[in-house]
Amino acid sequence: MQDLLYFSQQLINGLTIGSAYALIAIGYTMVYGIIGMINFAHGEIYMIGAYTALIAITGLTALGIAWLPLVLVVALVCAILVSSSMGWAVERVAYRPVRGRHRLIPLISAIGMSIFLQNYMHLAQGSRNVGFPILIEGGFNFGSDGAFQMSLSYMQITIFVTTLICMTVLSTFISRSRTGRACRAVSQDLGMANLLGIDTNRIISATFIIGAALAAVAGLLLGMYYGSVDPLFGFIAGLKAFTAAVLGGIGSIPGAMLGGLILGIAESMTSGYLSGEYKDVISFSLLILILLFKPTGLLGKPEVEKI
Amino acid sequence: MQNNVKKLVTAIAASVALLGAGAAVAEIKVGIAGPMTGPVAQYGDMQFSGARMAIERINAAGGVMGENLVAVEYDDVCDPKQAVTVANALVNDGVKYVVGHLCSSSTQPASDIYEDEGILMITPASTSPGITARGYELVFRTIGLDSMQGPVAGGYLASLNPKKVAVIHDKQQYGEGIATAVRDTLKDAGVEIAMFEGITAGGKDFSSLVTKLKQAQVDYVYYGGYHPELGLILRQARQADLDAVFMGPEGVGNKDINTIAGEAAEGLLVTLPPAFDEKEENKDLVAAFADKDQDPSGPFVLTSYAAVQLVAEGIEKAGSKDPFEVAAALRANSFETPIGTVQYDKAGDMKSFEFIVYEWHSDGSKTPVSN
Repeated sequence: MQDLLYFSQQLINGLTIGSAYALIAIGYTMVYGIIGMINFAHGEIYMIGAYTALIAITGLTALGIAWLPLVLVVALVCAILVSSSMGWAVERVAYRPVRGRHRLIPLISAIGMSIFLQNYMHLAQGSRNVGFPILIEGGFNFGSDGAFQMSLSYMQITIFVTTLICMTVLSTFISRSRTGRACRAVSQDLGMANLLGIDTNRIISATFIIGAALAAVAGLLLGMYYGSVDPLFGFIAGLKAFTAAVLGGIGSIPGAMLGGLILGIAESMTSGYLSGEYKDVISFSLLILILLFKPTGLLGKPEVEKI
Repeated sequence: MQNNVKKLVTAIAASVALLGAGAAVAEIKVGIAGPMTGPVAQYGDMQFSGARMAIERINAAGGVMGENLVAVEYDDVCDPKQAVTVANALVNDGVKYVVGHLCSSSTQPASDIYEDEGILMITPASTSPGITARGYELVFRTIGLDSMQGPVAGGYLASLNPKKVAVIHDKQQYGEGIATAVRDTLKDAGVEIAMFEGITAGGKDFSSLVTKLKQAQVDYVYYGGYHPELGLILRQARQADLDAVFMGPEGVGNKDINTIAGEAAEGLLVTLPPAFDEKEENKDLVAAFADKDQDPSGPFVLTSYAAVQLVAEGIEKAGSKDPFEVAAALRANSFETPIGTVQYDKAGDMKSFEFIVYEWHSDGSKTPVSN
């Protein structure tokens, strides 16, 4: 019983982190699916989302507004607005001018953008860790007193529920809406979609905006869950989400979700049963193994060379 | 035209030469190297404010052998790679004395360069024993060692008769070093160590670690490392209802841990150097800091002040600006500083340095715990 509770607790921990990874991973996978480039500045967009949410929360608290749902909604909206405009701007400034060139050029441009945004935040917000106020406290406890108790906090539930909502909305959007259909068309063949009258520039912008909005949601959620943000907040998270996207099959949205969850669970199980020191070793080994045996990732389609 | 250009060039060359000569006569450069930015910049603030104050007061009192001290400041971000770059920049700038670095992992690689290039280094904060264990002639410190601090922390924990203790560290030179010393002290005292484990510095998610601590039913947790990680561990432990008392070294003892951990920082145990700013004989100095709106209570402010003072008095005592002679003078004499009487052993460590256990509060204040 004890062991089962312990296992479930680690599973919950893993799923929490995993669902947030999945939210960030979608940004990588959608951009890759459509223009075949890796947006390395995506982790920074997530970091900016977390900072914006924190600033909004602090501002509202300073104004004396403490009604939790309102605070969360305002913080979420602010984070999404700022991150999305940032995502849009990054695409316009750093990627559109070099689109269609050799693959390496947008990649370098992306890395440059990432370094720029990180250092910009260093200057704008200082390099110290800033703490999030604890807004959602408490949770359910399972197990008898005096022994190991499994806890499922309200914060974790919030993360699951929000992620679930985002994923459902995104799937419906991609499969049902006009823009969603255009997105799929562009990802299949950009040139052809263009010929058939789809404004591909607009679709690409939309992709960046959607990815950034989801990253902002993840930024708010993880900022509150972990408890602090710093300008390097997005670096590791970006790397992990990128791994999740590749694991699930880059370019595939369900793949990103699955990859995120697998990565989160692998991490928490490793720290739970082996040691926290091996957390990253195991998750990146998993990536290498999957790439060795299934180079397209778990749910990815084999890429047809379009030369 | 041709002539004018020649004249101009000559004039510039002459003035540059004059400037250079002027600087060499009237100034002694003291390098201050530490983190101005990065996750532990608050410790850098302590270091820079202490060192600047010392330079200002020494100059006001007539300088060193009639010459003024000039601060040359460098940012190493507490990153070992950056520290090497900084050390090389110092060499190029012709600096002969360094107060720094702060993080042990930066001090270690930088000190190799200083020793090779004949630069005297006094670190006001690095506590890793390895730094002075290599027989270097020019390496000193104005702080104690992990091998002194670890036993104080371990001894205090053992005196509380804990059932089970977990020892966690951030796998860095400072954190792991001190955690190992604490573990060994606890083991010798017969305390059961439930786990000894590393985490990733800069990590954010400690939920699995907290779950593990809960499972192990520990009543005390010792953490070797800095406040950004411990702040998050405390916070996540509180959210998960982990009922254990945490303890850490001076690397966690600053007010930033409160902004991260909030209420969860209440009751944290910290080993710190004694509060030098509360000593009677430092009253004047504390007032001077207060005049500038600076806080002298941080653990590294007065150690940095003392480091600059030791450079100055070492030069006076040696009667020479040669770093090797200054080093010999530092070893041969004893000095009265704001952190007490400083006497060096052969390795460059202070012969005595005290650590005290404090209880940290959620408002950022601390109270000494009686043993």
